Amino acid sequence: MSDDPHVRTTVLIVDDHAPFRAAARRMLEADGFEVVGEAGDAASGLRLARDLSPDLVLLDVVLPDLSGFEVADRLADEPPAVVLVSSRDRADFGRRLRDSPALGFVSKDRLSGRRLRALQARSR
Amino acid sequence: MRPIFLALVPAGAALTVLAWEVEMDSLHTADGRLFVQVAAAASFLGCGLLAWWRRPTNRLGPLMVATGFALLMRHLRYSHDALAFTLFFLFGELGFALVLHSSLAYPAGRTRDQAERWLVRAGYAIAFALPIAILMLHDVRDPLIQFGSLHRKSDILVSREAHAVELLQKSFAVAFYGVLAAIFVALVVRRVAASKPGLRPILAPLTVAAAAVGLWGAHECVLTFADGSRAETPLFWAQAVALLLLPTALLAGLLRARRARPSVGDLVVELERTPPQGLRDALSRGLGDPKLELGFWLPERRAFADFHGRPFTLPDSESDRAMTRLEHDGEPLAVLVHDPSLLDEPDVIEAAAAAARLALENARLGAELHAQLDKVKESRARIVAATDAERRRIERDIHDGAQQRLVALALELRSAQLRLAPANPEVEQVLAAAVDDLQAAVDELRELARGVHPAILTEEGLAAALESLVIRAPLPVTLEDAPEQRLATEVEAAAYFVACEGLANVAKHADANAATVSARIEGATLVVVVVDNGVGNARANGGSGLRGLADRVEAVGGRLSVDSPTTGGTRIEARIPCGS
Repeated sequence: MSDDPHVRTTVLIVDDHAPFRAAARRMLEADGFEVVGEAGDAASGLRLARDLSPDLVLLDVVLPDLSGFEVADRLADEPPAVVLVSSRDRADFGRRLRDSPALGFVSKDRLSGRRLRALQARSR
Repeated sequence: MRPIFLALVPAGAALTVLAWEVEMDSLHTADGRLFVQVAAAASFLGCGLLAWWRRPTNRLGPLMVATGFALLMRHLRYSHDALAFTLFFLFGELGFALVLHSSLAYPAGRTRDQAERWLVRAGYAIAFALPIAILMLHDVRDPLIQFGSLHRKSDILVSREAHAVELLQKSFAVAFYGVLAAIFVALVVRRVAASKPGLRPILAPLTVAAAAVGLWGAHECVLTFADGSRAETPLFWAQAVALLLLPTALLAGLLRARRARPSVGDLVVELERTPPQGLRDALSRGLGDPKLELGFWLPERRAFADFHGRPFTLPDSESDRAMTRLEHDGEPLAVLVHDPSLLDEPDVIEAAAAAARLALENARLGAELHAQLDKVKESRARIVAATDAERRRIERDIHDGAQQRLVALALELRSAQLRLAPANPEVEQVLAAAVDDLQAAVDELRELARGVHPAILTEEGLAAALESLVIRAPLPVTLEDAPEQRLATEVEAAAYFVACEGLANVAKHADANAATVSARIEGATLVVVVVDNGVGNARANGGSGLRGLADRVEAVGGRLSVDSPTTGGTRIEARIPCGS
């Protein structure tokens, strides 16, 4: 991750819902992010996270093979910062969210470049 | 003491004195013969009254009392008064007929078959018919057998026929004291011979009766045909002693049978309270038959079985046990295998049968009711489970369908906003407003889905769901306790809805500023408690939604209680079996 505004933050989107991936990619790219990859399940998400070394992983909580919490646990010791996303809200996950090593949580409908940057800034 | 006894006791005493007086008046001397005869009659009276008192439903008591009266009245025929002579000559022979009847009615209070009934009827017919015929032909100037030198005037004389009177008196002696007495003895022998060994002790009084009747008959025949014979005196004393013993024997036999068994009422009351598995023992105790067996009819097997379902063997014709079948609406219900002596107490066995029938029918209805109740409970639980499954499906559909589309749309609008904003601030404003509206719609949809069924409950269990619930509550709520382990889906759902609906009630009706929620496991029960500091006065049956909550808890076998005094504060407690 770079502080240089001309160096775009690289993002990997892991979500089993293709329309969301497409919409999120367009929105983030419009907001100056570089979406370097998309994955529809946890296994390929984990693989791409290691192969592509993105700055951020947008990780859906509900995936067909593993839950987003488990994926976040596995990525805890690796460079990409994980932001969990879901169409449900924070209150629906309770303590699992609190206990997760993920950088943060954003409801999908409130996803924006501004929020991601705020989370990134907070982690520094 | 029943009024009839109050009348019969003095009447009997008076008649005893009168009989004694009349005899003394004609004999002019008290003798042992008179004494023993009056004593036998009085004994019938006394024992009969006792039997009647102790066993009011048995006709043996009244029959013995009647016998006592008739035996006493026989002495009044020696009265000098023509009317008394006529009347009591006519009724005097009833005593013998009644002795036959009483004895055959022992111990059940009724004769047992056609032959016995025929003998009793013949006894009464002869006892009335021949004395009437005799008196219609008897003139005061002629002697009468058994009256010696005493001349007595008939009030119903039609024509003086001394020869015919003698012939009739002899015929009467033969028919009444000869033939009937012989048939009686034969019937007693038949009954004793036909009885099973267990029955014989109870029939002992009948052998006394056979001796008394046989000897009495023989004595009367001697008096009629061979008066003055040397055999007369020993015969008299033999029959007199036998007759004197007879009422005591009948009473003792009756009371012995009675002592061995409780009253019919006691039996019915005891059996009514007896569960089916205790029925055999209760019947055995009640009927005084330790070997009593009870077989239950199994319609599906078309056979009898004992309480444990083992095949039940009915006694064959060689067996010394008797059998009573119990039916209900023409269908077999059960069978009692018992001591045959019980057949001599039909009222007791009938009462036992009726009570057993009642108990069995109760048990059958109880079992049916329980089965139906179980079915209803199961179906209610299934309905609730199906409803929960449906709610989960709807929540998932909302989440996977409409919500995802709206989320994607919100992101697309935000992309457009980002691209167009620098060039066109007006468009940016419209788009920003649209995004805000869309977010509000998503929030509402999310709230709706959560109300239908909270995903967190399914995915993370009760503790997480309750945490989420208290965080979102519109007033300060403390979660005091929540079980960490996962419980059965329906238990978690019921517990969650107690807390959720309970807090919704607090928010809507209680006017409270704080509440607590706790869920903890006590043994095999999950206890969920919601307490608030509001106005109280909530009713489980009111329109507050608590009734629906109670239904919900009861559907999983639990109980909901609401303590909400008018002085303030409400405590809702649900106790839900959780099997952990």
